Amino acid sequence: MRNIWKYILILPGLAGLLLFMVIPLTGTIASTFWENGRFTVNGYLEYMQDPYFLNILWVTLRTSLITTLVCSILGFPTAYFISKTQPRVKMLLLLLSIFPLLTSPVVRSFSWMVILGESGLLNNLLTFLGIAGPLDLLYTQSAVTIGLIHLFLPLSIITLVGVMDNISEDVTQAAESLGARRSTIFWQILLPLSIPGLLTGSILVFVGSFTAYTTPALLGGRERVISTFLYQNAMTLNDWQLASIVATIMIVVSFTVIGLMNWAADKIAVKGGKLSG
Amino acid sequence: MAYLSLQQVSVAYQKTNILEQFNLEIQEGELVSLLGPSGCGKTTTLRLIAGFLHAHEGAVTLQDQDYTNVPVNKRNFGFVFQNYALFPHMSVFDNVAFGLRQRKESKSAIKTKVLDMLDLVGLKGFENRFPSELSGGQSQRVAIARALVIEPDLLLFDEPLSNLDANLRVNMRLEIRRIQQELGITAVYVSHDQEECFSISDQVAIMNKGNIEQLSNPADIYHYPKTSFIADFIGFKNFITFDRKEKQTEGTTYYKADTAFVVADHPGSTGREGMMGAIRPEDITFHTRENAAHTNSLSGTIHTVIFLGRSYQYEVRTSLGNFTVNEEMFAPLQPGTEVALTFPPDKWVIVEKTEVTTHAG
Repeated sequence: MRNIWKYILILPGLAGLLLFMVIPLTGTIASTFWENGRFTVNGYLEYMQDPYFLNILWVTLRTSLITTLVCSILGFPTAYFISKTQPRVKMLLLLLSIFPLLTSPVVRSFSWMVILGESGLLNNLLTFLGIAGPLDLLYTQSAVTIGLIHLFLPLSIITLVGVMDNISEDVTQAAESLGARRSTIFWQILLPLSIPGLLTGSILVFVGSFTAYTTPALLGGRERVISTFLYQNAMTLNDWQLASIVATIMIVVSFTVIGLMNWAADKIAVKGGKLSG
Repeated sequence: MAYLSLQQVSVAYQKTNILEQFNLEIQEGELVSLLGPSGCGKTTTLRLIAGFLHAHEGAVTLQDQDYTNVPVNKRNFGFVFQNYALFPHMSVFDNVAFGLRQRKESKSAIKTKVLDMLDLVGLKGFENRFPSELSGGQSQRVAIARALVIEPDLLLFDEPLSNLDANLRVNMRLEIRRIQQELGITAVYVSHDQEECFSISDQVAIMNKGNIEQLSNPADIYHYPKTSFIADFIGFKNFITFDRKEKQTEGTTYYKADTAFVVADHPGSTGREGMMGAIRPEDITFHTRENAAHTNSLSGTIHTVIFLGRSYQYEVRTSLGNFTVNEEMFAPLQPGTEVALTFPPDKWVIVEKTEVTTHAG
């Protein structure tokens, strides 16, 4: 009897997911294979041969992968530092690092516009110091990447701190007492033991930047990414069929990349790379 | 010259001195335990020797070489951690091989050494397991093998058995002693368990508040504790501060109020000047008949009785204060019973007065 109650507890969540995710998603995906009452894959074939769309897909993928990589590289040492501090300082630093998450993406993007614009803070500084003339920073993929890194770095840091907190200092000291240099400790102990956090963080950052709308829309100018392209199809061109196809492609690409990340993480962290035990 | 020596070492943690002008000498091939309550500085001493902590004063030498500022990874000391500290993502083989790989040994040499070492610690056939698949005892064997395989100049143990259950602890300490003697390795062992320290050590250093109060072989410490702190720590529950003493031809008579106690001369405690006597609860004998007029005897009333399993523990109120007495009896005496306590002369130990937590007399 008690077991039944346990399952009843998950019913509300399950119902919500079914109603608001599984059904509409299945509908959306199904609709892409249906045209004038007949099954078809023409929509996909057209997209796959359209250089304009392929370019958008490639640019989005590249931007999100660069964002993911940079967030991991910047997040790793930061998280390591935070995990080594005293509990009180740690709370403060964690709070500071998630602070960007507490402001709206719109506000943040506008701030970057102020900094990166043609007569913005950065360009003024560069011109003043005579390093370079006004650069075209705003409305490029670089601006989008910077905005996304700013947006998602906290996710990287939080997930990594969570994992690094579980790496006992004794383990690194054991390696040290056995003669390992700092670099060896990093590559052979810290990094492999941080893979689970690195993976979770990377998935969050990648999915977030791959599907981000506000930041690319505000900082990317006329350059399209896949989510702004989807919006354009649905809202401006009112072509829901095409928008659904784009959405489906986004889902497939996301899952493929997540799968690849999982596979790579498995390769790097050899068997038994669990943190407990 | 000592093999390992700490000379006038001071270590501070967050501006508080944990060790001050600390000295320790260890001979080659010895297993020396640092024993004491938590906070006595034993772990600090061990981590200082290992190089995880640094002295802001004094010197650490090994075989006459200055080790004070040698980094941990250049010391060639094996360290066995309380929580094993195995690398969770590496197999048993890779864990043990880790130190050898840092030393750039050949693949075949590594393989032979690792397998030999696993054999020595009784883990033959476990090389492909992962730490998460091992029991506590097996994990600690791997940790010991990992520390031993690098042929360390010194082997350091930080409470290695405290996470294991009681039976396993007894087996493992025999194993540790066997391996240490078989390899003739010099070792420093930290524990708060006195039985563990006494059973495996050549020398035991009892530490209190950052000082070594006594460094001797286990039997000497057990029978002739030098200070009241040590006596209290190893189970002397009864202390009396005497008023005066008279040297006799055999032994010394100490007086407290009108009661005289003869204390025999011990080879292990000759020349001790103090006026404090200590005696264990199980060394005081017990008579229900009233005959307290004699020397070394005191009458009193039983106040409380506690069942300890093998014996009963009585709290006896006397004119000189409360005494704790353990007696093996089938049925306990009731509180309120009048008894006479006898203190055998050869069971008294004269100790130097230091900080003691329990106090009678």
